[in-house]
Amino acid sequence: MRRSDIRVLLMRAPGTNCDAETVRAFQDLGVQPRLLHSQRVFRERNLLDYDILFLPGGFSYGDYVRSGAIWAKECEYRIGSEMEEFVESGRPVIGVCNGFQVLVETGFLPGFEGRAKVPQAALGNSTHGYQCRWIRLKKVNKGACAILSGVPEDEILRYPVAHGEGRFILPPDRRDEYLRRLYENDQLLFRYAREDGSFAEGNWPENPNGAFHDIAGICNPEGNVVGLMPHPERAYFGYLMPQWSREEQPSEYGDGRYFFESVVRYVERKF
Amino acid sequence: MIFNATVFVRLKSGYSDPEGETTAKALQGLGYNVTDVRSSKAYEITLEAKSREEAEEAVDEMCRRLLTNPTKDDYRFELREGQ
Amino acid sequence: MSRITKSHLPFDHHTIDLLNATDDELVEIANSLGLGLNLQELRAVRDRYMLMERRATDVELQTYDQTWSEHCFHKTFKGVIETPDGVVDGMLKSYLGRVVSELDPPWCFSVFEDNAGIVDLDDEHAVAIKVETHNHPSAIEPFGGAATGLGGVIRDILGVWADPIACTDVLCFGPLDYPYEKLPEGVKHPSYIFSGVVDGIGSYGNSIGIPTVNGAVYFDEDYTGNVVVYAGCIGLLRKDRYIRNVKAGDLVVLTGGRTGLDGIHGVTFASAELTEESEEVSRPAVQIANPIEEEKIKRAIKQISEERLGSGITDLGGGGLSCAVCELADRYGLGAEVKLERVPLKAVEMAPWEIWISESQERMCLAVPAENLDRVLQIFEDEQVEANEIGRFTGGNSVKVEFMGERVAELDLEFLFNPPRIQRSISWKPPVLEEPSFPIPDDLGETLKRLLAAPNIASKEVVVRRYDHEVKGGTIVKPLQGWNAGPSDGAVLKPLDHSWRGVTVACGMNPRYGKIHPYWMAASALDEAIRNSVALGGRRIAILDNFTWGNPEYEDRLGGLVLASKACYDIARVYGTPFISGKDSLYNESPVGPVAPTLLITALGIVPDVRKTVTMDLKEKGSSLYIVGETKRELGGSEYYRLGGYLGASVPRLEPEKTIEAYRRLTKAMDEGFIRACHDLSEGGLGVAAAEMAFTGGLGLELDISYLPTEGRPRDDLALFSESNGRLLVEVTDRKASAFEKNMEGTVFAKMGEILGDRFIVSRGGEVLIDESLTALIAAWKTPLGGSR
Repeated sequence: MRRSDIRVLLMRAPGTNCDAETVRAFQDLGVQPRLLHSQRVFRERNLLDYDILFLPGGFSYGDYVRSGAIWAKECEYRIGSEMEEFVESGRPVIGVCNGFQVLVETGFLPGFEGRAKVPQAALGNSTHGYQCRWIRLKKVNKGACAILSGVPEDEILRYPVAHGEGRFILPPDRRDEYLRRLYENDQLLFRYAREDGSFAEGNWPENPNGAFHDIAGICNPEGNVVGLMPHPERAYFGYLMPQWSREEQPSEYGDGRYFFESVVRYVERKF
Repeated sequence: MIFNATVFVRLKSGYSDPEGETTAKALQGLGYNVTDVRSSKAYEITLEAKSREEAEEAVDEMCRRLLTNPTKDDYRFELREGQ
Repeated sequence: MSRITKSHLPFDHHTIDLLNATDDELVEIANSLGLGLNLQELRAVRDRYMLMERRATDVELQTYDQTWSEHCFHKTFKGVIETPDGVVDGMLKSYLGRVVSELDPPWCFSVFEDNAGIVDLDDEHAVAIKVETHNHPSAIEPFGGAATGLGGVIRDILGVWADPIACTDVLCFGPLDYPYEKLPEGVKHPSYIFSGVVDGIGSYGNSIGIPTVNGAVYFDEDYTGNVVVYAGCIGLLRKDRYIRNVKAGDLVVLTGGRTGLDGIHGVTFASAELTEESEEVSRPAVQIANPIEEEKIKRAIKQISEERLGSGITDLGGGGLSCAVCELADRYGLGAEVKLERVPLKAVEMAPWEIWISESQERMCLAVPAENLDRVLQIFEDEQVEANEIGRFTGGNSVKVEFMGERVAELDLEFLFNPPRIQRSISWKPPVLEEPSFPIPDDLGETLKRLLAAPNIASKEVVVRRYDHEVKGGTIVKPLQGWNAGPSDGAVLKPLDHSWRGVTVACGMNPRYGKIHPYWMAASALDEAIRNSVALGGRRIAILDNFTWGNPEYEDRLGGLVLASKACYDIARVYGTPFISGKDSLYNESPVGPVAPTLLITALGIVPDVRKTVTMDLKEKGSSLYIVGETKRELGGSEYYRLGGYLGASVPRLEPEKTIEAYRRLTKAMDEGFIRACHDLSEGGLGVAAAEMAFTGGLGLELDISYLPTEGRPRDDLALFSESNGRLLVEVTDRKASAFEKNMEGTVFAKMGEILGDRFIVSRGGEVLIDESLTALIAAWKTPLGGSR
């Protein structure tokens, strides 16, 4: 489909707050982002009119109970079946930060056998409390995540994190089994890394939250549902990067551009 | 019948508990000899049900569906008949 | 017989007989109603009611109490003060507000009259800014006090139809290692207050999704009983959406959280000293913050502004509904009728006066033309925010308050907004201080590391990272610079999608200088704020004042305050930087004593193109480091003296004419692209600033202080760590060096060294004074409060 026809639904709840920069990124790519309160989506049942579903970061419903939990259960209850249909159609669903928490709480991620009734992972309290800092990431996906095929594997990506609950964890009794399945299904997407490209191995601050296996982002086995804690939208433009002022000629775009460009290209070609 | 349930949710053992650790530090800051704090959350729920069994089942479902994520949380609850 | 009578109405309501009430009786009435009015004010009220020949109601007396409080009315700054040099007819008019009226810059959009100061950004847009104090509530309940402080200042920005784009926070605490046994009863330990305040601000700012981009954390013994919390907010508005056009017949709409018993008499509390009992007595004055409620209100108000549906707006802060409705009506020369039973309540039973003055958080008041009401209520409903029409604006000049069909107050606004002016006199004598004498340390490298580790200089990363400074994707210069997370001089924001135009946010504050001389303390704070802005490329700078002071009823405290205000006028006038808004917090006294006189200056500048912004990290091997400004032997109140336990007497002074000329040249040099890095010299002087530039950039530096332009020949340690004002360090590449020097001609500046190698070396002539690795310096700086490495 034509790029200018691509419709992106950014859903928000009370407390969502990373919508402005996300809208800006999509606008820059020439697609049509639309920011809608989830109550309106529940009322109008129009989710399937869109080509990309994006769940932005923030503190939905104050992150009371657990980060993302209330919004997740509300979505599940009100438009769970449309969301499933959306996912089954192969269209991209992306959750960043709070959005990732929602995708885990709704059971779409990791979603080993489709959407799970009970969450199969959690994003728990970070070891160092709330942290806003730039971190380095490596893409570790072998190709299952087609929507991010445009994100280079050999490069270290620099995105900021800003969260208090982002520590990716698996149930203790099934940790090994689930990790094996994540590898077998090629569901690992991003892992926290050091400057030299090696993995953080749990060390703070390179791994900012104590995430298991340095996991920063995963996808479902089909590769079209993506969740990550770091914020590519806050690294979209060059002047947002932490050391742009050191360059004699700062580049126009930052590392976050790969992410959004890849998703848009995928939709352009696939549909 | 009206039931009152108190649900306690806490992190499974083995997970670090920054809220507990921070609170411990704060209590130490107030001059108390506190060595450890584990945080837990309590919800007081009032619900209607036909029987105690039904109430228990409903509260248990609430815990599984919203109040906990079994990956990291344990829960228990107390149920009383009441007002 | 009591002069207070319960009415025969079916709710809690009292009338008060003021006829011929004696002073004793007036005081008794005030005490039994919990009023903070002084005798002069009580007499004025009595005379007024005798003239009107009627009894007063509790709602009315509570309204005077709120409106005339120091917190709401700033009576000290508006009062008449007798000084040895003549009468000051209101410090606000004579000093702070006078700068803007004399300069009258065309880019000042709205100053000192609304909830926030507003200046132009470009033809279409303006930027609003406000900084608030929230000291008393934070002393009693640090988390809630600080959080609601931030919530309040964000509402100030919503209250001028602006969209909040950034927050600031400046916090002053007692030493974190203060001995427990020295703490008096009723005073909480600084480390407890510190973690509560830091968490409170983080929880609110992060949850509402506004980046916290600039601030400072300061430690001093004199804050042990009096924590200082300044919270600021900056907003963006379209000038044609700034609607102030309330007409008779427009409706009063109250929106946001419900009204409860929380926060009754908050302003009275804020305008009194903290005592041992404050903790127990004042708890109800502290609020529970609900940032998500405010986030929803923010979205709704943005939409209402977009559709131009409101005719006026204000926030509910101190004094609650009473201040909001009366001020809004008065601003437009109108009156109002309010029906209090339409206010949705948290508590089941509240007396009308409690509803009228409650300071429950997250509420806003809008004036809405009747034809727009349905749409406005629909917008609030879409955002899941409660909103109700509670009355209407009327002609005339009085506010009538009803509850369940009964009139419970009728307030004449002319009287309400013209309280009796206080008249005070001052005396200020300079403290007897002397300059310390001590030998020069053997190892200046060691001294430098100790200074880098001093609480007021060491990295505040542990605080800064608790706050999201990236959200909204507009933070171009961040509070922590680069991967080494060095200390930026301020923040640069890019508020508009389709323009490179940006704003700089920076601050200045020198509380220790205030212990020596309040005038030079204020002058230094102002210069530091401007200097920081200049370092970022900011120009056309507007400033805000926030005074935190002790009890102004003591002549010495007030004397210092007058001196500081005078300095504000003197310096700002020469700098051409008008004050556009301000807020004071007086009566900061505790069982430990008065607060250190603290003036925070916040500076808001403009950069034509954010891509030309300069950061403080050294950039390039082989380029040169210059110093701008003269170094004098001015170490009174310095961090270097503090290391040795001294205060000293030689407080930094300022020659504003010379200094501003150098700043103008620097700004030009940045526009020409001569400058690669720029950093201001403040606490710790040249030694600390140069070290910070080196380790942030990860590049070695060799300096020779025999080139340092000085007055006299100060000793090496004093030259390195003097805190003279008006100084900056700049990195210039070789290709641009001669052009830069030509540009700076006529100002005091000198080339001091080069960027080379991987060590930090300071020498005089051939003699090496300091030779340290960057790793050692950064470790000294990052370790004390906790950093990432």
